[in-house]
Order: sequence, then C-alpha cells, then structure tokens
Amino acid sequence: MRFQLAALSLRRHASRTILAVLGVAVSAAMLLDMVMLATGMRQSFASLLGRNGFTIRVSPRGTLPFDTEATIAQARDATVAMRRIAGVTAVAPVLGATIHVLGGPNPVTAFALGVDPAVQGDYELLEGRDPMAENALVASDALLRATGARIGDTLDVAIGFDPQTRTYTGRRRVTVTGRARFTYLSAEDRAAALRLASVQAMGGADRTDRVSLFMVRTAPNADPEVARLAIERALPRVTALSTAGAVAEAERRLSYFRQLAFILGAVSLVVGFLLVTTIVTVSVNERIGEIAIMRAIGVSRSHVVHQIVIEGIGLSVAGAVAGLILGVFTARYLNSILRGFPGLPDAIDFFLFQPNSALRALALLVASGIAAGIYPAWRAASLPISATLREEAVG
Amino acid sequence: MRALLVLATALLPARARAQRIDSIPPWQSAIRTIAIDERLATDAGLRVGDRVALAAEPGQAIGDTVRIVAIVRRRADPSEVARSEYRVRTHLDQLQRIIGYGDRVDRYAIATAGGAAADSALRRINAVAFGFRAYPSREIAVETSKTFLVVSRFHRAIGMITIVASATFLLCIMLLKVDERRRDVAAMRLMGISRATVVRTVVLESSFVALLGSLFGVGLGFVTSAFVNAHYQAVYRTPLRFAIITPDTVAYSVLLSLVLGIGAGALAARRLAGTPPLTLFGR
Repeated sequence: MRFQLAALSLRRHASRTILAVLGVAVSAAMLLDMVMLATGMRQSFASLLGRNGFTIRVSPRGTLPFDTEATIAQARDATVAMRRIAGVTAVAPVLGATIHVLGGPNPVTAFALGVDPAVQGDYELLEGRDPMAENALVASDALLRATGARIGDTLDVAIGFDPQTRTYTGRRRVTVTGRARFTYLSAEDRAAALRLASVQAMGGADRTDRVSLFMVRTAPNADPEVARLAIERALPRVTALSTAGAVAEAERRLSYFRQLAFILGAVSLVVGFLLVTTIVTVSVNERIGEIAIMRAIGVSRSHVVHQIVIEGIGLSVAGAVAGLILGVFTARYLNSILRGFPGLPDAIDFFLFQPNSALRALALLVASGIAAGIYPAWRAASLPISATLREEAVG
Repeated sequence: MRALLVLATALLPARARAQRIDSIPPWQSAIRTIAIDERLATDAGLRVGDRVALAAEPGQAIGDTVRIVAIVRRRADPSEVARSEYRVRTHLDQLQRIIGYGDRVDRYAIATAGGAAADSALRRINAVAFGFRAYPSREIAVETSKTFLVVSRFHRAIGMITIVASATFLLCIMLLKVDERRRDVAAMRLMGISRATVVRTVVLESSFVALLGSLFGVGLGFVTSAFVNAHYQAVYRTPLRFAIITPDTVAYSVLLSLVLGIGAGALAARRLAGTPPLTLFGR
C-alpha cells in the first residue's frame, strides 16, 4: 500500500519525476566515475608493479626507477649482496639505453633494456624466444613496424652517436629472436630487450658493470619491507622501493586526480541529495491537504513517514541504476582521454570498475536519498490535522 | 644529464667561517659558487653563504666544495609540477668536470631578435650543423605540452558532465519554483491579466532568480579557485595557478544559467497559463 501510494505520487508529476531521476542519474554517474578514478589508479598501478612477483625496485640513491639517467656501479657485487639477504628469491638487473637501428634511410631510435632473460620481468614474450645469445634481441611491435623487421632478421644497431665525428658508437649486428609486449611501456613505444652484458659492452666504459635498476623478488612468506630495509643497509648507494612505497609515491604525484575525484564526488553527492530533498519537499507541500485528510481518517504517522521516505528512495534508486549505466560509459570515455598520456604503460587504467566500490558509492547515494526524505516526511507527519484541514478548505 | 648530480649535504662545520667568506663577493672568491632552488634550501636547511660538497655519485668521498650564493625560485612551469626533484645551478665547466662529461653540452638555448631573425637563424644553423638539430621553441613547446593537452581534454569532458548535471538541476529547480506559483498565476488570470503578461512575469522572475544564482555561483567560484590555488601551490610547491577564472568563463556560466532559467521559466509559465485558473486553485 505504501509503495503503491508513493508510486502514484511520483507518477502524478511524471515530467518532474523524470527530470529529478535524470538529475540524480547524472550525479550518480559522476559519483561512480570519481570513485572509479580515485581507486582505479591505485589498483591498476599496484597490479602493474606486482606482476611477475617483483616486490622491490632498487635504483640509484635519491632517484626513482628510470626517473634520471643515473646508474648503479658495481652491479655484479650488488646482485650478489642482495641475493644473500633473507627472503630475496631473485634479483633482476636492468640497464636502460637508447639504441639506433641503422640500415634504413633514417635511423630508428628505440629504448633498449639490458636484462637477464632468466629472471627478467620487463617484457612478456608473444612470439619467438628470449635473447639468450650475445647478439640476440626481442622487439616490441612498434619497433618491428618502424624497422620493417621480422623474427629471424638481422639488424644493425648502435648505442651512441658522436656528433663530432658523425659516427655511431657501440655498433653491432643483432638477430631478432622474438616479439614482446613491454610491461612498463606503452604499445606505441619502440622498445627492445637484449642481454644485460650486451648492452653494457655496447655502452663502453661508461656502462661497464652498471645497471639502471634492480627488480627484486621476495618469497611469498617474506615481508618485502624487511628485505627493503636490509637492501638499503647492505648497499648505501641505492634507494630500495617496495611496491607499496612506489604506489604511495605515484599517488603523491597524481594526488591531483584523487583530490579532484574526491571533490567532484562529494559535489555530486550533495547535488543528488539537494535534488531529492527539493523534489520531495515540494511534493509534500503540494499534498499537505491530502496528508492531513489521511491523518484525519486514521492513517498512522509512521505510514505517512514511510510513504514519503519511499518516494525519496524511489527517486534515488531509479537515478542510481540509470547512473550506473551512464557512469560506466562516461568512465570509458574519460579513461580513453587519459590513456592518451604520452608513454603511459598499456596496463594502466585511470578508471577501473570495481563492483564493491561501485556498490558502496551507489549505496551512499541511496542513503542520501533516504536522508533527503526524512525532513519533509517528519514535517508532514507532524502537521496539526485540524488547523491544516481548515487552512486547506478556506485556502 | 648523463649522471646524477648529487648534492652531498655535508655542510661544512664552521658556519662562522662561511659567514666570513660570504662577505667576499662571489667573483672574488676562490671557491666556486652555485645557486640552489628554494625547495632544496627549505628541505636541507641551507642558506646563502653555506658551503656544500658536490659529487656525481652518492657517498662519493671526494667532492667539489662550493658555496651557495643564491637561492632561486622556480618558474611556474606545468611540466615540472609533479616532479619533486631538486635543482642546483652550477658553472658549466664545473658540472662537465664533476660528471665527466668532457667538452659537451646537452643543448643550447639561442636568443634571437625574434620573428624572421629566428627562422633565418634556424635555417642557417641546420644548414651548417652536423650531429645536432635546431628546433624553434614553439615546436618544443608543442611536443612537451602533450601531457597538458590530455589533461585539458579531460577537464573539458568533466566540465561537460558537470554542465549537464547542473543544467538538469537548474531546470528541475526552476520548474518547481514556477510550479509553486500556481495560486498566484490563477489569481492573476482571474483578475483579468492576460496569458502573455503572466508568461512574461514568470519568465522575468525566473531569469532574475537565474541571474542572482549565477552571480552567487561566480562569487563562489572565485572563493573556491583561490582555495584550489592555495592548496595545490602548497602541495606541489609551485607558484603555478591551477584555477583561473577568466571573463569568458564568467560570461559563459552566466549566459548558460540565464538560458536555462529563461527556458525553464517559459516552459512552466506556458503550462500554467494554459491551465484554467480554477484548476490551478484546485477547484
């Protein structure tokens, strides 16, 4: 009965109800998008870093991985020292460099990673085999496209260019042994992976026994934080960053988006609340006479309160459901915009749909709808019956 | 820069001695001088006159002892906002020596008289140079501003959603506001006032409400943008302004609000004016 009366009341002003549901839907969509933005980046980045089980990144002291061109010297000794630390199960050294693929009308420049193929976590092999040999290379699709090379082809690559003599340095011929997707790079990045020793040798004295970064894998039962501290104690020239620390640092740098999400989410919630409050209040004001008659013929106060609160909930739920659909579509659109950031890894999404977070956000909106109905309901239920009837009759 | 320039913040102990050296103008000092940015000065507790050791590697025992002669404030550069690195300005030859860079530089910045002179200089440099290439500053600006173009597109999209939400809200409120005037409209109609006058009155009233609301909104916008700027300038430690209210923004929001207010008012007024007065009275 209460539901029926509430539905009839909402249907009486159909255009007003539709407009209110639309307003709540846009607010709900915005709220959902902002929740997806606030939690998505963190989840997406943590999941990217946690791939392949590497829990610690070790970079030159005071820097973040690949944030500068600084390198760690005496890499072999550092690897041995880290392997001795309790809980460490694997150490993957990585040296970054720029390579030039020669032979075509214009040299193609690419980002090269020197890795240990046995323990690397930088790429996922899609076709072919790892660069186990000294002169082997795996390439990203973008690099293969740019050079027109295929698996099995030989490329002439160099690691440096001397502008004085106009010659390429660190030159060698390498065979493309595989096609790979690079985990921390975007699909448009031209990238290649070679053996660490090959990149170090091509780089000459400047890169001998040097690496840009170590990725460290810890045992599942080991605390990465303990291992991280042990690494920093053992190697004073490095900064060790756990996945949690890296996520916190990324969040700090991108705090703008999280705060924007929080502010816009809060505004959406307030707008939804105000809209439902206004609609229900106006609707109650228009029906004061009806409500007084209901009370006069014996309808209980709680019945009146329930009916009005149900109206608020009805508007909120209808708006939230429409907002859920609208929010998913707008999130996809907004995500496609932010994915345009240059060099963003493929695996990073700014808007990530997580059912629990989405439900919590929409539950919050419905709760605000309940709260929005309480004031007009209380006001309607506390009307003095006879005075209201007299006022309504006289006009 | 090929190697990391590390400022070993090993402050030399004798501050009194540093103060004495400070009285000597930099060009007369035997010790080399550097400038550091405000962020580093604050975080490391450094002041003009302090002496520090510069080294290319962390923990390197031997470094160049230099004296801080200036603390500089960074320019409002959006590309540096999310980067929390410190900046040290040294003499070119000193940096080349410290990091073993030889007689090399990463780039040159060339000042020209502007206009045709810039284009002519660019052509001549690229014609004679080998091993490097000259670019006009605007081309570099386009390349480095890609991130901000993405952010700008994102803001525009968010702005559109906000406008749709606020427009729906405004439309709803205006319709309700006009709907509340049922009895007044009925009385006006019974007194013999024409439908057109009733519509005009209601539209005038709704546009006044919309104008008042949008002016209040503009005021609120100024306050919140001041808050946003103060907050993010503190978070990112930059003089960059994050929110700017331009006359165009104000005109756009007021106009949009007015159009919506007038539209909603006209819609509701026409509906009310078309309803018989006694029905509006509920009789």
